[in-house]
Amino acid sequence: MKSSVSVAAVLLALGLAALPARGAEHPGKEALEKNGYHGPESCEECHPGTAAAFLETVHWKHASKVSNVEGLDPNKEYGMKNRIYVMCNGNDIVNNLKEIPKSPETGKTKFSGCNTCHPGNHLSDVASTGPEAQKAVDCLVCHSSDYDFRQRKPYKDAEGRVVMGQDRSTKAALAISKPTVKNCMVCHEAAGGGVVVKRGFSFTKETDAHAAKGMVCVDCHKAKNHRMPTGLDPNNWATDGLLVSCADTSCHGAKPHKDADLNRHTARIACQTCHIPRTGGAFAKDFTVWEQGSDKFYEPTTLKKEANETTPVYAWYNGTVKNTPHFIGPKGSRQDGKSRITPFKIFQGKAYFEAKTGNLLSMDFAPPMANGDTRAGVASAARTLGMKDPEQVAKNAVPGWQTIYFGSNHLVTKSKSLSCANCHAPNGVLNFKDLGYSDAEIVKLTTPELYLKKLVEKQKEEW
Amino acid sequence: MKNALALVAVLALLAVSVIGFSGTAQAEEIKMVGVITKIEIAGKDAKTATATLKDNKTENLVVITVNDDLTLDKFKDHRIQEGDEIRCKYEVIDGKNVSKFFRKTAGC
Ligand code: HEC
Ligand code: HEC
Ligand code: HEC
Ligand code: HEC
Ligand code: HEC
Ligand code: HEC
Repeated sequence: MKSSVSVAAVLLALGLAALPARGAEHPGKEALEKNGYHGPESCEECHPGTAAAFLETVHWKHASKVSNVEGLDPNKEYGMKNRIYVMCNGNDIVNNLKEIPKSPETGKTKFSGCNTCHPGNHLSDVASTGPEAQKAVDCLVCHSSDYDFRQRKPYKDAEGRVVMGQDRSTKAALAISKPTVKNCMVCHEAAGGGVVVKRGFSFTKETDAHAAKGMVCVDCHKAKNHRMPTGLDPNNWATDGLLVSCADTSCHGAKPHKDADLNRHTARIACQTCHIPRTGGAFAKDFTVWEQGSDKFYEPTTLKKEANETTPVYAWYNGTVKNTPHFIGPKGSRQDGKSRITPFKIFQGKAYFEAKTGNLLSMDFAPPMANGDTRAGVASAARTLGMKDPEQVAKNAVPGWQTIYFGSNHLVTKSKSLSCANCHAPNGVLNFKDLGYSDAEIVKLTTPELYLKKLVEKQKEEW
Repeated sequence: MKNALALVAVLALLAVSVIGFSGTAQAEEIKMVGVITKIEIAGKDAKTATATLKDNKTENLVVITVNDDLTLDKFKDHRIQEGDEIRCKYEVIDGKNVSKFFRKTAGC
């Protein structure tokens, strides 16, 4: 009897504890049900100013001023809107969403463009401003858990303009919440030309310790007025000016371990080095030669791996970025007092460089997608950018490679984190010489003296 | 006594199924690329679905059974739909082609 009472009590307590989560129904639901959903203005009744504020963020502008990358104009804004690099080679401007030329083999066309990863409707495009732009924001792509993605695709309207569709149904607006992993992954999962291509970014309980705990993107990327905090990925330039890092005091702090030996390392070694020992995604692409797919359209030749299938490269990083036509990656050194040894996903891409200046050229994907003619893509992009004599630029363009170091900030693990011998054994993951350690220091850093006693204790505990 | 017998029976069954399993585990993963011609899924709470793929190489129709939550969710909200080209790995289990990997070939 007693026990069944206490079981009931526990069940009751559990039920109550579960209530807030379940009861987190959006207070605006009733009003939306009654009045229907007509776009951001329906939300603005209770959340005034949201759309206007959204237009100021990276997610709308795909650009911001950038202060940590060399060779940039401090007064200009940079981002996916206008950048030229070899993971994408196109950008929102030169590879604007459009109907591509018909495939000569099938007579079919399709829509393609970088700015499909934008929560506008293309008529109000990346970085557009004003009342029309405010009305065009797709609030539900990030906030609805009942979004019908058949609506979110490009089509031609009655005037022949290319429009990016949205699900603006009241049904979708009745399922409002904080963004879930899925909402963010609508775009982030397939960045760079397909699932996990850009960063090997998979956020599931199998691939990430935080996902396994039920955390979602916005538990760490806590947005303020839709400005999203980010880190210092050498290849993610646009920011909303807010930072998030593992060592934030609200997360783990700089001394998260019970083991002082581990904590002693955090001044010189980034958390990611030990806790994100693997990476994945595309590791090489060739934009000068495209491969034909079964639908007879062409895609850049790409070599790729799954999440956690490749190993990172390690370098000192102080948060500032080297940026040349053939290299984008971390700056830093053992000596500068600001750098940490940090893991990066390494990627190499082949594209065309301008013969005269040696600068990397960008590409409009429409021509090569239809018929494989990559130089026509270069000519089209050069024309869009107002370069002199685009045909000549394309004809003289020289193929070459660029290497990029991407930040590696997800795929976090505890159980597979690097332990003493992973680094301090002679075949450890770090190349101490390349990292600037002298031969004498390396001898000291690669002796079991450092860890033997400790690991023997651990070995005993384990058995 | 009765219990002991039952136990023996269970053990026997287990032995059979273990052998049975190791048999299927050896079954090779089959890889294919094809376009979805049909998705059949029974409502929002479905725990399984089938997708019919037209194999790019052979043009044969292959019915794939999908059980993983992430892919099921993409069927439900139509992030994956008919006409999409899919890279798929599957294993034949009890006569069904059970998906181990099901992903759109194209990206952004
Ligand atoms: C009738 C008023 C009303 C309308 C209309 C309305 N909301 Fe809300 N919403 C609220 C209130 C009240 C809250 C809770 C207080 C807060 O967080 O501001 C809220 C909270 C939210 C939250 C935070 C949810 C959370 O769990 O933290 C989001 C996101 C949100 N609304 C989005 C929207 C969107 C998108 C629309 C338009 C589709 C919308 N709202 C329309 C009243 C409304
Ligand atoms: C409609 C597509 C889309 C959706 C949905 C989306 N993103 Fe993004 N996000 C982008 C693009 C494109 C960029 C790159 C912008 C650039 O560098 O110019 C980006 C950049 C970022 C950045 C780095 C720049 C910054 O703003 O700090 C973070 C962090 C980020 N997204 C997090 C998220 C989170 C969290 C969610 C879910 C709430 C989300 N994104 C949803 C498209 C999207
Ligand atoms: C790119 C994804 C994205 C889009 C598009 C988006 N939001 Fe949000 N929204 C977020 C994120 C992320 C948060 C913060 C969630 C958190 O940290 O709890 C947020 C929070 C909110 C909140 C809670 C209050 C606040 O500001 O933190 C409201 C209300 C809201 N959004 C309304 C809207 C409306 C209205 C629109 C369309 C005009 C919209 N959102 C478009 C991602 C988005
Ligand atoms: C456990 C916390 C955490 C979670 C959960 C998380 N992130 Fe991050 N994310 C970070 C941190 C920390 C950084 C920056 C680290 C740095 O550069 O020092 C980052 C960086 C990023 C960046 C910038 C590019 C890069 O990879 O460095 C993007 C985009 C991003 N996150 C998107 C997402 C999305 C989308 C999700 C959900 C699927 C997500 N994040 C989940 C902590 C998190
Ligand atoms: C030199 C390698 C190394 C570095 C650098 C490092 N960690 Fe760890 N960390 C580990 C190892 C190994 C474990 C697992 C210990 C275990 O299994 O008990 C661990 C465990 C953890 C845990 C789990 C603790 C627990 O008690 O369960 C957290 C949280 C953590 N680290 C966060 C961080 C953060 C945040 C940073 C950066 C400030 C960081 N780590 C830097 C190696 C490292
Ligand atoms: C990610 C690789 C990595 C892991 C894992 C790691 N270390 Fe280190 N350790 C280093 C590096 C790099 C240095 C040199 C730091 C510097 O420049 O000050 C170092 C320095 C040391 C030193 C100081 C040596 C000296 O002569 O100055 C000791 C002691 C040490 N580690 C012990 C350990 C122990 C014990 C563990 C396991 C708990 C461990 N390390 C795990 C990379 C690692």
